[in-house]
Amino acid sequence: MVHFMEDYICNNVAPRIRGDGGWVEFVSYEDGQLTLIFRGECSKCMILDRCMDWICQEVKRDLKEEIIIKPLRIKPFFWDN
Amino acid sequence: MAFVEVIRRSMRPEEWTDLRYAWVKRSLTGRQHEITDLEIRDAVQVGENEYEFLSDYRPLRKGEMYFTPDGTVFIRGKAAIPEDFRKGEIWFTLHTAAEMMVKINGRYAGGIDPNRDRILLNPWLEEGSYGFTIEIEGYNRSKPDDERNPDSMHLRGCRQIFDGAYVSVINQDLQDLYYDLTLLLDIAKSPHFDEDYRQFLNRELDQALNKIDFDTFEGAGEAVKYIEEHIYQNQDFHSSGNVALVGHSHLDIAYYWRRIHVVQKNARTILIQMRLMDQYPEFKYAHTQPYTYELLAKYYPELFAELKEKIKAGQFEPVGAMYVEPDCNVPSAESLIRQCLYGQHYYREAFGITVDNAWLPDVFGNSWILPQILKKSGVDYFVSNKMSTWNDTNRFPHNHFLWKGIDGSKVYACVPPTHFITWNMPSQIQENWDAYQDKETGGQTLSMFGYGDGGSGVTEEMLELMKRFDKLSIMPKTEHMRADEFLHRNLKDNEQLETWDGELYLEMHRGTFTTKSNLKAANRRLEFKLRNAELLWTLRMREGKDTSRDYPREELRDCYKKLLLNQFHDILPGSHINPVYQDAMRDYEELESRLDVLMEEGGERYFNTLNQKRDEVSFIPWAEGPVTRKGIRGYYANPELEALSGKALCWDGDTDTSWFHTEGLHAEKLHTEKLYVETPVYRICFHEDGSIESLFDKRLDREWTDGNFNKLHLYQDTPGMYDAWDILPNYKDVEYAFTVEEGIHLTYGDGSVAEFTASLKTPKGKSTWKMIVRLFKDSPAIEVEHRVDWDEKHKMVKAEFSCNVLSRELVCDTSAGYIRRETHKNTSWQKARFEVCHHKWCDFAEKGGGVAIINEGKYGVGVEEKGMSLSLMRSNIRPDIMSDIGHHAFCYVILPHRGDAVEAEINRKAFAYNIPLVKTEIDCPRLDFGPLYLQAAKLSENGEYVVFRLSEQDGRRGTVKLPYRGYLMNMLEDVEGEEPVESISYKPFEILTVGVPVGEYMKA
Repeated sequence: MVHFMEDYICNNVAPRIRGDGGWVEFVSYEDGQLTLIFRGECSKCMILDRCMDWICQEVKRDLKEEIIIKPLRIKPFFWDN
Repeated sequence: MAFVEVIRRSMRPEEWTDLRYAWVKRSLTGRQHEITDLEIRDAVQVGENEYEFLSDYRPLRKGEMYFTPDGTVFIRGKAAIPEDFRKGEIWFTLHTAAEMMVKINGRYAGGIDPNRDRILLNPWLEEGSYGFTIEIEGYNRSKPDDERNPDSMHLRGCRQIFDGAYVSVINQDLQDLYYDLTLLLDIAKSPHFDEDYRQFLNRELDQALNKIDFDTFEGAGEAVKYIEEHIYQNQDFHSSGNVALVGHSHLDIAYYWRRIHVVQKNARTILIQMRLMDQYPEFKYAHTQPYTYELLAKYYPELFAELKEKIKAGQFEPVGAMYVEPDCNVPSAESLIRQCLYGQHYYREAFGITVDNAWLPDVFGNSWILPQILKKSGVDYFVSNKMSTWNDTNRFPHNHFLWKGIDGSKVYACVPPTHFITWNMPSQIQENWDAYQDKETGGQTLSMFGYGDGGSGVTEEMLELMKRFDKLSIMPKTEHMRADEFLHRNLKDNEQLETWDGELYLEMHRGTFTTKSNLKAANRRLEFKLRNAELLWTLRMREGKDTSRDYPREELRDCYKKLLLNQFHDILPGSHINPVYQDAMRDYEELESRLDVLMEEGGERYFNTLNQKRDEVSFIPWAEGPVTRKGIRGYYANPELEALSGKALCWDGDTDTSWFHTEGLHAEKLHTEKLYVETPVYRICFHEDGSIESLFDKRLDREWTDGNFNKLHLYQDTPGMYDAWDILPNYKDVEYAFTVEEGIHLTYGDGSVAEFTASLKTPKGKSTWKMIVRLFKDSPAIEVEHRVDWDEKHKMVKAEFSCNVLSRELVCDTSAGYIRRETHKNTSWQKARFEVCHHKWCDFAEKGGGVAIINEGKYGVGVEEKGMSLSLMRSNIRPDIMSDIGHHAFCYVILPHRGDAVEAEINRKAFAYNIPLVKTEIDCPRLDFGPLYLQAAKLSENGEYVVFRLSEQDGRRGTVKLPYRGYLMNMLEDVEGEEPVESISYKPFEILTVGVPVGEYMKA
């Protein structure tokens, strides 16, 4: 399932996020916890929770998995204050 | 004693006024009726007006989440207007950060976006009916950081909560009061206005608001009356100034969105402005870029028909002669000419007008070649804001001036004192006047108003404020007008204007010459490929039976337009999100293929498309060739081709390497970290990293190096927020060392070329960097190829060339002549020019000789005391986190020479290096244009002439006999003289266009 999940994030979710100047990377998927790195515009998005809910819904619909997302925000140095 | 901060807990009078202003703003909607019969459907846009639907329609209710990342929604529904709403103005209201086009009863009624949340319903209701249908196409843009409207900040994001849609009635008294307060509070808070007046305002606004019962909002009318009598009629305070207000919306074709999305952004912007014109007939608006009009005509013919009427009426004003607002550093002269040619031809065909201005508010500096190109393209006025508002070191000294180009042509120039995006607030207008430097000579100053970047434009609020400006004695005099009216009235024939002679260098965004190096390389390659394709077809015309009918005019024009589109100032410079880069590279690949098809021909002859002899060593692609250059196999040869001629070539198979000798590194005799190579031309000492410690020229009996030469430097590159755009002046402060994995050593040799390769790595081995240095038996050229697998963040690589040359000038190619840049830092102006844009070459020479660096697609160059540093790679992360990551292969040539750049024919050699030989059997008639460079040969847009574009690039004056009698033309291909000419006179750096009637060309 880990590979399915990674493919799904890379090929289905990431292109959509990139379209808004954001960036998401797969880190791991274990025991229903999906760890994702958020960069770019996502790294400072005040309503990232809404996007993560959307990712959970998409995963549930397409992969039939109930997940929770652990976000790792990596801000560029110029926003990191 | 410890410092104790005293926190004021009571409300200041100004805060009490602000609070009441917020209550007024919140209560503008008198009554509202929620529209509940709504459905929504999700989609993703996959092409221009093409969608992949992700769901069917489902009900949409207030409080629900809507929009998905990069998503489009389609909303439909119907509503009825309650009986007690049916008198006066009825509005459709919806508060959102998305961008929406709204149809009421099947017709485009208006747009909604972060800057406006209502549409007047009355014009769209059917007579006698109070029910209506709604159709919305909404596109969510979480445009970051530079969002202009602070009210929409909290709404930004990929997913939003649907706040509900309503039928609403506005409280008119409150609305009038709201506009008054917005205007006056802006003044009260602005340091640009007189302090006494601001105190007066604070006092009187408090009095006005005291008239209102904030439970019922009764008394709003009295407050408005109080403001009229006590503030507007007060004449005790006065200001000076005269500001022209021009409505405009800056529209980036791509940036934080792809160009497929600009179809809707553009349509929404135009729709909104047209609906404002319906409400405010006196409103005028200037919209740029013929490309955007093309898009509207293609996808929204109904709106386009309406637009044409508004243009005829003088309300809607097409501005900007160029097809898009291109970057004006990197594109070549011919590209900039085509921007004008195709832009102006579109305007002529669509609206019957030739626009006399170039409207480039946001471009990152402007090449010295522009005035001539503009002037010869029907453009007398140039408008660009950046130098006044963005320069990081020096204040650009003029706002209105004459700009003198490289050839001496002059255009009127306007560099408005403030940003091109304003919301027409009194403080912004006053600031504009305060900053205006030509108050005594330049007439009115220009303040553009309207939200922009992603379009949107002027709002009702901006126009309502504007109606009140005349009532305020404290404000500068203002006048709303068209852009052309402003330019003609204030600049035309203004003899008091001073002249700026030189490039309009922007002291910022210096990184855009280098960011996303693949885009720059592809652009250069395709510029010359298009030249070759057009020239080839011009020659083929003579061989075809059907003459000009064979010429693939539309296909070539379409190809050119695709190239021009990608020269937009947030595409080619590299300042965009990752999907924009992917789109551009796809476009370039498609263009390569289309041009290959156009040029495809059998045969074995290689044709020199230059109108000058070609005797430089050249790489000839050949699948069985012994050398690999940028991933292509082939061989090196000196083809010795006359101008516009061809011959069969093949590898001579000479494998005799006795013409060069090596000693040192990896040679058994010497155990040293240096490699010594001797060729018929040079004695060279390489460091193991491929840099050159000594380059001794045997022909000239002199040493060319004085310090680091061909030395790679890996610098920290952390410009901050404007990551893709900027390079800081202190970028050299932190440098990282490359690790040498394999020192330079001989990797190939034959009878004409010897290749030496060094393999390097960046710290922690993140990126691999292979440098291949090629020495030639019969040429002083030294070619350096870099093969890079790049995976860095915030690093920049430069190649330094410190020359044993005493000079204070770096001479740089502009693509149509050269410009001299001082290498010393005597003044702040020279200090600020630490990184400049050049084209095919730069040259550092003293009287007896110098060193030229000829590149194939690198534009950024550092101006150094001992020469130059060529910028090779950057690695920024905003807006594109993956910027430049991946494989790169690029080359340049180091060319020491006798004499200066002109004497050494560096420009001609740079053309030969950049313009490949073309495989064709074609024969060319004698086409002798003397020393002028044949920049383009094409069939004219009307099909009646063969157009030759000739460019003087060395700074000489003279006369040349033409191979055909032809007519002098401007760059729009309008015949300028009545009689054909047999010869033409040219002056330094002049670009001339000659049209030969097709019949004459075919006969000759």
